[in-house]
Amino acid sequence: MNPANYLYLSALLFTIGAAGVLIRRNAIVVFMCVELMLNACNLAFVTFSRLHGNLDGQVIAFFTMVVAAAEVVVGLAIIVSIFRSRHSASVDDANLMKL
Amino acid sequence: MSASSVHSLWTTAAPVADKFPTPHIEYAQLSPVLIVLGAAALGVLVEAFLPRRSRYTAQVALAALGLAAAFAAIVALADKGYGTTKAHIAAMGAVAVDGPALFLQGTILLVGFVAIFTFAERRLDPRAHGNQVDSFAAQGSAVPGSDQEKAAVRAGFTSTEVFPLLMFAVGGMLIFPAANDLLTLFVALEVFSLPLYILCALARRNRLMSQEAAVKYFLLGAFSSAFLLFGIALLYGYAGTVSYSGISSVIDGTAPMNPALADTTGNDALLLIGLAMVAMGLLFKVGAVPFHMWTPDVYQGAPTPVTGFMASATKVAAFGALLRLLYVVLPGMRWDWRPVMWGVAILTMLAGAVIAVTQTDVKRLLAYSSIAHAGFILAGVIATTPDGISSVLFYLAAYSFVTLGAFAVVTLVRDAGGEATHLSRWAGLGRRSPLVAAVFAVFLLAFAGIPLTSGFAGKFAVFTAAAQGGAMPLVIVGVISSAIAAFFYIRVIVLMFFSEPKPDGPTVAVPSLMTSTAIAVGVAVTLVLGLAPQYFLDLADKAGIFVR
Amino acid sequence: MNLSAAAHPGFLSPTGVEITFVLIGLATLGAALLTVTTRQLVHAALWLVVALGGLAVEYLLLTAEFIAWVQVLIYVGSVVVLLLFGLMLTKAPIGRSPDADSENRLVALGVALAAAAALVWVVVDAFRTTWVDLHGVAQGSSHATGESLFRHWVLPFEALSVLLLAALVGAIVLSRRDAGSPGGATTGAGSPADSATGKEQS
Repeated sequence: MNPANYLYLSALLFTIGAAGVLIRRNAIVVFMCVELMLNACNLAFVTFSRLHGNLDGQVIAFFTMVVAAAEVVVGLAIIVSIFRSRHSASVDDANLMKL
Repeated sequence: MSASSVHSLWTTAAPVADKFPTPHIEYAQLSPVLIVLGAAALGVLVEAFLPRRSRYTAQVALAALGLAAAFAAIVALADKGYGTTKAHIAAMGAVAVDGPALFLQGTILLVGFVAIFTFAERRLDPRAHGNQVDSFAAQGSAVPGSDQEKAAVRAGFTSTEVFPLLMFAVGGMLIFPAANDLLTLFVALEVFSLPLYILCALARRNRLMSQEAAVKYFLLGAFSSAFLLFGIALLYGYAGTVSYSGISSVIDGTAPMNPALADTTGNDALLLIGLAMVAMGLLFKVGAVPFHMWTPDVYQGAPTPVTGFMASATKVAAFGALLRLLYVVLPGMRWDWRPVMWGVAILTMLAGAVIAVTQTDVKRLLAYSSIAHAGFILAGVIATTPDGISSVLFYLAAYSFVTLGAFAVVTLVRDAGGEATHLSRWAGLGRRSPLVAAVFAVFLLAFAGIPLTSGFAGKFAVFTAAAQGGAMPLVIVGVISSAIAAFFYIRVIVLMFFSEPKPDGPTVAVPSLMTSTAIAVGVAVTLVLGLAPQYFLDLADKAGIFVR
Repeated sequence: MNLSAAAHPGFLSPTGVEITFVLIGLATLGAALLTVTTRQLVHAALWLVVALGGLAVEYLLLTAEFIAWVQVLIYVGSVVVLLLFGLMLTKAPIGRSPDADSENRLVALGVALAAAAALVWVVVDAFRTTWVDLHGVAQGSSHATGESLFRHWVLPFEALSVLLLAALVGAIVLSRRDAGSPGGATTGAGSPADSATGKEQS
């Protein structure tokens, strides 16, 4: 098995997610793209773990998932609270501050 | 014997699990972190079980006590020699207990301690329905301007949860510069970031802007931590381990190599791209150009006490982690990462100073000034000499108290809508309240690096170290951008003292003992580190050795 | 590691693993692309489920059992559900939303292509010739993972528990409404709806 294939998949998923963060306007969808990026990282970790024959990578992937779950909780709390006062979850509408 | 052999006729013995070795944790050496996180957890319990009336006092006392006790623990550890001779790696390789870690942790704890006072200030805002109010929203969930919020204000609600959140953030920041493997680094980053995202959203005045700052900070923060994580993945792929010493021994070629993976572990492209992505994540937290876009918006929107805490403590923690990464993991790759960091440092210094000139809002001005200062500190980081480490440690300690003090002064200048942060409103402040203007002028002079202030001592140490480390062009750019920066600091001072106060200008609120203490500490540290820096320079010097 | 695991390295033959990888990998990629391009916000979340599920299968192929099931539990089971709730609570429009993308499409595309090229090049450069012997022992059972977790990663694990507590407290601070504000809740819920619809029409 050539691990490179898994790594290609991981790299492509990561860039798709990154592009999504830059393109999308809805804060929640932007956040989904970040999740996609984190998952790409996890795939890389698990592949490297298989490659090196130690379990560290899998443990890190597990940590990442928990961190992602905590991030979702905080992120949704913030996004929903701004929606309630602003009635919009669009990133671009959030521009009270001038440059 | 026979019993067991009979027994084995109809059962197979379950494989005896290998005795699970208990992980070895040095509780005494981790005590600062444990005390802070314990105080945070107690704070959550206080929030749950104490009646609303007594929560504020209990939370402030608990947080202050916890930070003071943790600082005492740091001093005790340093006294026992853990900063120098007994420095070692603790908790199964997760954290290092050494000089830079103890120095930075001490700084973060003191910053947190002073920040508690600015968080707890309740005399600046006019009383709402007879209740004293602080800078935080009465109820985080209430829509700004709604009946619900009015009801919450009338009922005298306050968000006392900010204190446990602050403690969680401080706990994460304590682990961050001491983290000795990339996984601990990542988890610590999230531990201090998530509470900060929440704190940003809780301003009492200008809630919309505050929530917007929180969304921006959160989305960009999550984005950057994804980059950090992918960088960690690549470094793990390169070395097969995430511990700092493991990676550095693979880089040096001293680690036992798996022959099947010789190609992989010998591949520099993997290492450099991984390193670049990890550095990206750290530089984002530091606010270095080109990862600085969030800084002005978030600093402006967040409640000012939070901004002060964030601007100082986050920088200390993130620079600590960056130092450890570059000095412990990558000394062997110095010639590869230095040119890139040169570029980042030059861009950061110039962009911060130049854009600051055009700002018209005090908080945004301070934000861009903090970007410029990140550039100056980077110049010291790049020196890659022992002097580089100690000068950065000193600069961080000096800078963080100036920043805290400056933002504390910003909370004092108010008008009907809360803080009056527009620069034009500050015109003639020196006539109206000379003391506040003078104190702010001291902080601005320290930012500008005028002699006899801590800013000068810090800049001098950093630039000397950079020059000795062979980064002369960097020093020249640094001096030029210091001059540009001095221009706009002086401009603010001139505005405060030499222009006519407007008739409808802002008032200067009389703070309680809390904010007064915070500002006084800021002024005292600025002057002491400026007039007699030697003791502290020596301290930073002694603390300047990383354990590997 | 017991003997049976060594005798049966996986539940599929090596060729089977390769074929499954290609099929699932393509599906995952496609789903990810749809997640970031679809103009229907709810569909984005549903495509995300497909992508995450595909990744879980990939983890199984990499013999990371524990991670695969945690992926299903945490990501598919809770994160996506939370995201869907988030979409619901922010009244995401069902159907196509014309302003789903911002204007900087080309910039994003350029950045993404550059990043993808760099990363793929790194992988090609480093791992072109590396092969992993599929007949090695299967690793990643929950037994082995747990042992590694609690032997070497105790401090990060404890930090993780702190992180969860902090996130919990933070989310509660931002969303809990106390009793004692009668009527506030209804006006708070009513007004966003009105102006949200107003906004969509305008």
